[in-house]
Amino acid sequence: MSTAGAALRVVIAEDAAIMRDGLTQTLTRRGLDVVSAVADAEALREAVEKHRPDVAIVDVRMPPTHTDEGLRAARAIHEQWPEVGVLVFSQYIETQAAAELFARAPGGVGYLLKDRVADVSEFIDAITRVAQGGTVLDPEVVRQLLSAGRRGDTLAALTPREREVLSLIAQGRSNAAIAGTLFISPKVVEKHVASIFDKLGLPPSDTDNRRVIAAIRYLES
Amino acid sequence: MEPYAGIMLQDVYAWVRRHPRAADGLLAALLLAGSAGQLRISPPSAALAATAVSALIAATVVVRRRDPVAAFAVAALLAAAQLVFGLQPADGDPPVRALGPTIADAAIVVLLYTLAAYRPRRVSLAGLAVCLLGAAVAVARWAPVHAAHSGGLLLVAGAGLGATILTAWVLGDSMAYRRAYYTGLEDRLAVAERTRELQERRARAVDESAARLRRIERDLHDGAQVRLAALAMTLGEIKENLEVAGDDRTLALAGAAHQNAKDTLAELRDLARGIHPPVLDRGLGPALVILASTSGIPARLTDSVTERPSPAIEAMAYFCAAELLANAAKHSGASRVTIGVCDQGAGLVMSVTDDGDGGARLVPGGGLGGLLERVQTVDGRLGLDSPPGGPTVVTVELPRHA
Repeated sequence: MSTAGAALRVVIAEDAAIMRDGLTQTLTRRGLDVVSAVADAEALREAVEKHRPDVAIVDVRMPPTHTDEGLRAARAIHEQWPEVGVLVFSQYIETQAAAELFARAPGGVGYLLKDRVADVSEFIDAITRVAQGGTVLDPEVVRQLLSAGRRGDTLAALTPREREVLSLIAQGRSNAAIAGTLFISPKVVEKHVASIFDKLGLPPSDTDNRRVIAAIRYLES
Repeated sequence: MEPYAGIMLQDVYAWVRRHPRAADGLLAALLLAGSAGQLRISPPSAALAATAVSALIAATVVVRRRDPVAAFAVAALLAAAQLVFGLQPADGDPPVRALGPTIADAAIVVLLYTLAAYRPRRVSLAGLAVCLLGAAVAVARWAPVHAAHSGGLLLVAGAGLGATILTAWVLGDSMAYRRAYYTGLEDRLAVAERTRELQERRARAVDESAARLRRIERDLHDGAQVRLAALAMTLGEIKENLEVAGDDRTLALAGAAHQNAKDTLAELRDLARGIHPPVLDRGLGPALVILASTSGIPARLTDSVTERPSPAIEAMAYFCAAELLANAAKHSGASRVTIGVCDQGAGLVMSVTDDGDGGARLVPGGGLGGLLERVQTVDGRLGLDSPPGGPTVVTVELPRHA
């Protein structure tokens, strides 16, 4: 994972040249080190093996079948090089794919709608979080899950406010960010988070790790 | 092997069927030849005239197929003239020798058969009446000549003549009936053939349209959507640069353009997904899993389909499920929905059950009506059971291929 100060080393896998080049230029202008930009899953694996980047940014649909090559490549990278963060981005959101991705690799993983590249700073923020072993989940996934009304028993004990907080945790937000979003004080957020961990039966240990597990519970519910 | 008489007869029939004109010519010649004995009269001029009349009557057989009514009318008129002038007139005038009846008159029986076989029954019945009347008149006018014979013989002659005429009519009529029956069979065969052809064409059209939709989605994904995302990214960068150093007016413009690009991107994504959800490429099962996981009300899926249907059918089943789930969420007040898909014979059946208020109806132009129309394009079926108070069960049956 990257050390503070050094430029993040990034590999991009995207079959559309215009997006691949645009992304490379934008990230480079923002001080990231795009070590390789490739067009398919096979080349991605080679590039990751060669460069061992901090993050691989992977398009879901790539040749040859244009279905879920990117997802499979992301899983393979996680298994082979767990230290490499993977940010999967897709034209469409599939909650199922997101849940699988997060279940297998609780850290250093992100799943974003392709549209998010439009907000450059936020996108780079997401890349940085994934590079640092954090999780990034597209708000759209969370929105779909919330509207799906498929809350299982796991989350039944949570109050609506706690669920709201959990959904933000699942998006990889920090307590401070959650406080800002919900217009509540960081202290109240901490209380909610502690209560969520408690209700989900997560023992007090490394806070970040518990956040990730809570997020996965949320996704899998 | 001994030539079997029946087979030889069949050969004759076959020849007649292949050469109808020649067969009729032969028949006419035979009729004329049969009359030869009766035409040997004097003076020669009378013989010539009689031969001409008989030839004319026999000739009607040749044209009987082309115009049965005209042929019959000509023969009947000539025969009537023979009856009136050729037989012993009642008032004692000597008969016109050239108009004596001959064997060739048998042509009329053939023509009656033709009439019965090829013309409407009312026409042939009129012909039958004419013939019977003619026979009666003939026997009546014959009677004085053959006064020596007993009345019994006359009766036998009359009955024989009548029976022959009737038999010809019945044969012809049954021929017409059989021909109508075979024509009906052929028509039905042609309809069946045409139906099969149309079904094949429809299947091709359905498959092609599904493939085209998939192509459009992919083109959007690889083309417009990517370009627009790249554009939005550039606009985002411009906006952020202007935030650091730039005038507020340009920043506002860039911000608006940026937002526009993002909104368009979202709209385009919804549009593309409505055209062909990409997850369908992985199969109906995975697509339904995702559909169920994003349903507005909790949805449970059971999928036991063993053989993948064609892409067009998968898309149809998917859109049905999506519409039904949306309906359940919008109108039913249901708290849970069950989607079940399984094999059924040569197709699949999907049922969507909700525990809502029920009372759903199939109205033309409505949501369910639209689904029904869609399903019917591939001979699928849609059943609705929605009693007041629920539950509502919608069953969609689809073939595995269009």
